Amino acid sequence: MASEEKRAEILKNLSEGVVEYDEDRVKEYSNIALDEKMDAYDAIMNGLAAGMEIVGDLYDRQEYFVPEILMCADALYAGLDILKPHLKIDDASGVKGQVVIGTVQGDVHDIGKNLIKMMFDVGGFTVHDLGRDVPLEKFAEEQLKTDSEIVALSAMMTTTMMGMKKVIAMIKEKNPDVAIMLGGAPVTKDVANLFGADGYAESAGNAVQEAIKMIGQLRKLKEDGVPA
Amino acid sequence: MGKQHVIDAVKGLATEKVPWVPYSGVHSAFLIGEPADKFLQDPDLIAKGVIYAAQRYKADGIPLLFDLTVEAISMGCNHKWWPDNPPSITGHPLENKSLAESGIKIPSSKDGRWPVIIEAGKMVRAALPDVALYGILCGPLTLASHLRGVRIFTDVYKNKAIAREIIDFCGQVGGEAARIYAEEIGCDVIAITDPVASLIKPKSFREFVTPAAQSAIKVTRKAGKVSSFFICGDATKCLEEVAMVGTDGFAIDEQLNLNYVRDIALKHQVGFGGNLKLTLAMSLGLVSPREDALISLAAGGSTGYVFAPGCDMPYDVPVEHIDQVIEAIEFYNTYYARYPHHMVEK
Repeated sequence: MASEEKRAEILKNLSEGVVEYDEDRVKEYSNIALDEKMDAYDAIMNGLAAGMEIVGDLYDRQEYFVPEILMCADALYAGLDILKPHLKIDDASGVKGQVVIGTVQGDVHDIGKNLIKMMFDVGGFTVHDLGRDVPLEKFAEEQLKTDSEIVALSAMMTTTMMGMKKVIAMIKEKNPDVAIMLGGAPVTKDVANLFGADGYAESAGNAVQEAIKMIGQLRKLKEDGVPA
Repeated sequence: MGKQHVIDAVKGLATEKVPWVPYSGVHSAFLIGEPADKFLQDPDLIAKGVIYAAQRYKADGIPLLFDLTVEAISMGCNHKWWPDNPPSITGHPLENKSLAESGIKIPSSKDGRWPVIIEAGKMVRAALPDVALYGILCGPLTLASHLRGVRIFTDVYKNKAIAREIIDFCGQVGGEAARIYAEEIGCDVIAITDPVASLIKPKSFREFVTPAAQSAIKVTRKAGKVSSFFICGDATKCLEEVAMVGTDGFAIDEQLNLNYVRDIALKHQVGFGGNLKLTLAMSLGLVSPREDALISLAAGGSTGYVFAPGCDMPYDVPVEHIDQVIEAIEFYNTYYARYPHHMVEK
């Protein structure tokens, strides 16, 4: 086990490596974490994910833009690739549920969607990524196939955003219990409500919190015997 | 119709009435009951739809098309057509190849989609002599993202030479598109439309986008036409760069505060356009389109302001919502525009 001092040093370097999009540093300290027999979940959540939270804050303040976010994401994945295979099976605290994610038909913009996917990965979700420009009916098919609790839809353009309403209707018709989350530049909380979605993600970090909240509500409703 | 008002406003000048430019795009196809894919590939349908939209919506100016894939498809990018949207680019030829290896060339007026667009443009030009016709061309960074994919955004840091080569090339493609719109079709306003340019730092904008935009600006000026730079998203931080890019004016979408935008435009003595709420008001009616229009008009004033949606209108945006916007602009121009506080000299 790593000493408290060593643990703090590793977490600091993982976090700073992500913020400063320094892939080599992240790789180096991910390997050190394993050499020091540090818990992989601890390194991911308190090192890599903590760094990404700072990145999200910098993005919100418009100090970081998309290029920086993408490079930070590369650094984070470089660490995840090393650490994730060492997660213990009983890291139940990290396993939140399953999510189907994709950018709706006609829309090839997937930067935002990929960031949300990354946050779900880090948050311990099993992610079924359908990619971009996804035919509307595919979301409902994949949800039924995987029995995912959440479907996350992304659109960058107002024109393609209108397709989300059709997807929600298709999914709810086949499985009214699934929680549907919307995100993307033209989407607002009002739009999500109007389309019949269960959640709205304003940002990548907010998406995961919203998803956890939605799953909690779904499970509670099921336990209480009330149709969700 | 107020063609000259549009031209004056784009140049940042005061106008007697605020000009109205509905970016009808594929909504023009909806208006004549045609699917977008069929419409965009048929010169007669484009002409019929655009002429009808301009007349139906009492437009002072109108874009010939609002489709940022024209140049990329004309260079051979894989794409997919949609019945209710402009086409989307599905393959990026420079993702794993250099510009030289790809063999991609600047498309001329005889290549790809241009012959159809030119034929349609000439018909529209002849039918709407008093309406300012916009030629919307794909801006350098957006076109670079079509050709290179998402990697172009990290190239601006990690592979600057590659980024510069591709973005500069895209700027030259934009120069030829500007020439086609301005000289061959006779468009009055050339809009360099670069929605993704708000995704990079102002410094990167200045380093890559500004130089690449100069070709289209120069061609437009040489043809005696006016130019605008269209940007999308939260462009707050790079708006000063946009105002200084060298075009006569610029346009923004609903994510920006029009008071802030107006002040930047007045400071730099350029025109500005926008930013009706396309989603909440025009498409969904969650906000009254009439009230949203009046708020924009009150903020925009009548010095250098082009009243327009924040971006291209969705295919089946409700016509009655646009009618409310038209009522608002007529009301404003009748009772307020002749006493604009922005025109008072101190």
